[in-house]
Amino acid sequence: MQPAPTVGPAVFPWRGRTARSRPLQLANIDTAVTQDLWSFCLTRLENELPPQQFSTWIKALRADRGQPGSPPSLRLFAPNRFVLQWVRDRYLRRIGELGLEFHGEPVALELSLPVPGTAITPPAAAAPSAIPDLGAREPVATATASPPALDAQSIATDSVYEKTRLNPDFTFETLVTGRANDLARAAAMQVAQNPGTSYNPLFIYGGVGLGKTHLVHAIGNAVYRENPRAVIRYVHVEDYYADVVRAYQQKSFDAFKRYYRSLDLLIIDDIQFFNNKNRTQEEFFHAFNALTEAKKQIVITCDTYPKDIQGLEDRLISRFDWGLTVQIEPPELEMRVAILKKKAEALRVGLGDDVAFLIAKHLRSNVRELEGALNKVVAYARFHGRPITLELAKDALKDLLNAHNRQLSVEQIQKTVADYYKIKTADMHSKKRTRVIARPRQVAMWLSKELTPLSLPAIGEAFGGRDHTTVLHACRTITELRLNDPQLNHDVHVLTQVLRG
Amino acid sequence: MKQLVLDIGPDADPTFENFVASGNEALIDALLGAIRGASHLYLWGPRGCGRTHLLKAAVTTARAAGRAAELHAGESIDTLPATNGLLLCIDDVDALDEPAQIALFNAFNRAAHARQTLLLSGETAPLGLALREDLRTRIGQCLVFEVQPLDDETRSAILRQIARRRGLELADELIGFLLRHGSRELPRLISVVEALDRASLERKRPVTLPLLRELIQLGLEI
Repeated sequence: MQPAPTVGPAVFPWRGRTARSRPLQLANIDTAVTQDLWSFCLTRLENELPPQQFSTWIKALRADRGQPGSPPSLRLFAPNRFVLQWVRDRYLRRIGELGLEFHGEPVALELSLPVPGTAITPPAAAAPSAIPDLGAREPVATATASPPALDAQSIATDSVYEKTRLNPDFTFETLVTGRANDLARAAAMQVAQNPGTSYNPLFIYGGVGLGKTHLVHAIGNAVYRENPRAVIRYVHVEDYYADVVRAYQQKSFDAFKRYYRSLDLLIIDDIQFFNNKNRTQEEFFHAFNALTEAKKQIVITCDTYPKDIQGLEDRLISRFDWGLTVQIEPPELEMRVAILKKKAEALRVGLGDDVAFLIAKHLRSNVRELEGALNKVVAYARFHGRPITLELAKDALKDLLNAHNRQLSVEQIQKTVADYYKIKTADMHSKKRTRVIARPRQVAMWLSKELTPLSLPAIGEAFGGRDHTTVLHACRTITELRLNDPQLNHDVHVLTQVLRG
Repeated sequence: MKQLVLDIGPDADPTFENFVASGNEALIDALLGAIRGASHLYLWGPRGCGRTHLLKAAVTTARAAGRAAELHAGESIDTLPATNGLLLCIDDVDALDEPAQIALFNAFNRAAHARQTLLLSGETAPLGLALREDLRTRIGQCLVFEVQPLDDETRSAILRQIARRRGLELADELIGFLLRHGSRELPRLISVVEALDRASLERKRPVTLPLLRELIQLGLEI
């Protein structure tokens, strides 16, 4: 697992609680020293690095004062895990050297992610630091460099875990339970407690994006936590297939077999992708037999019930029936709301019931898009520096919910406007010039110009073969009228909203 | 006598700076975030709204910062690179055929472990994408942005900027004429400016409304 968080509550000058807003007498000498060291590093690195490298990676870092007292220290925060590793691999050593040069003695360097939750208050302006960092929900990872060497041990621990290919975020604790997944979760917990002996294989099936992958990672993580020496591997079927192909090419089937038969827990995801890959199925069949005979656990996910899988050998299908087959169903509204609240909690973001309900109402079929929607709302709030309200959520979700291409046709606009003013669509093309008909027609022309990229002659043509100067006149008339006629202005506003969806 | 023109365009490479469209500040900020590996991004909007420009700009910016980046497009992508740390940009995901969709699906599954960041674009919001459901929902999990559409004011600003890069000053009446009479789709407008530039060099005449009219007479579509 990742090293435990070592970062306590800290002051984040870039998060709004600026040093300037603190009483002057509290100004800390350590802060000043650290800021000076960091300014020194910034100046030097700006000269040493290509500008784009400097602005992408170095300027994304934030410095905080280190532990008071000696030896001198510098604590840096990266906006996400990617930047953390990038900086650790490429620049941390150089920063250490600059620290040595500045202080005349080695500086204790620490590079980490900000503590989740501190990143919520957005800065007033849209500074580069306002980049929505969805990685913040990950456990805090710290990279330290006691110069000149990096902390080798924490990297070694990481790599054992990394071999499992498990996602540390997917645990039973972060899984929301409801009627839709109750049974599957209970079975998964059983398997995690008694791998190889309770249900083997455990076959979990259900539609797209309902949390099958989360559940099987949770099993893996629980087994790993109980016994870090257990040999665990999560593998997507496509990767398993790639392994088989590689074994073919490199004539290394022995090594391939040895590896897959050495596992204590094999989690294989999306088995429906096995269809008609005969050699892969054959290899899996043998691995399956070897593992179950040795009482090693196998966990399988699929988008359908075993008997419905296309292109799968019968002998495999019958083996999948040996253990337990459980289904995950789509979550009902209450569960979707609960899922959102849990995810918001993980992001350390306050989410009102009204907002959770709004998101859950619009995205029904799967958890993945629910999460995408929440991420969008959070990023939107951070960028604009506003709290998450119902109004804000509606704005933010527009980008997701405009399901159809907004390339509107003139016909759609004509019909919508005609319905709105309760006139006939045919009147849009007619020669009639009475106000009750002419005005809506002009509104429709104005909307056609604003909402489509059509040429004015083409728009005129669509309105009963009128000249482009007529369209131009209509657009000018409506633009002027909107300034003085609140009713018309309201109509145009409503129609724009309706048409844009 | 016509002057022959060498086929060397003076157009600048797409960057975030020369992306002229207001209302997209949050999107550009998120693109910079994606280059730093913050999250996968999906941006959508109709043809000509500037998606390809933004993807190309992201690739350029990422490479300048030392991060490997690739741009793929088109319906037939067999496999996508598994390179560690790659910024993988894919344009027009709505056009991907079945094998290409599986390639992208695999890229999604690989991304966390290979520390790749995906930057995708398409014509509609995720809910409207006609793709495999397992892929469509993965796209829906990205941070989604609609590229804000252009209005006529922005269209003229872009035309002016493109023309200026070619050393041309477009008169208001010429731009007004184009927006009144021609298609207002940006790719078409840009190709008209290119045609005007070429004609002006060939005929050694300034870019004016009469020149444009002449070209239209000769069959230039606006």
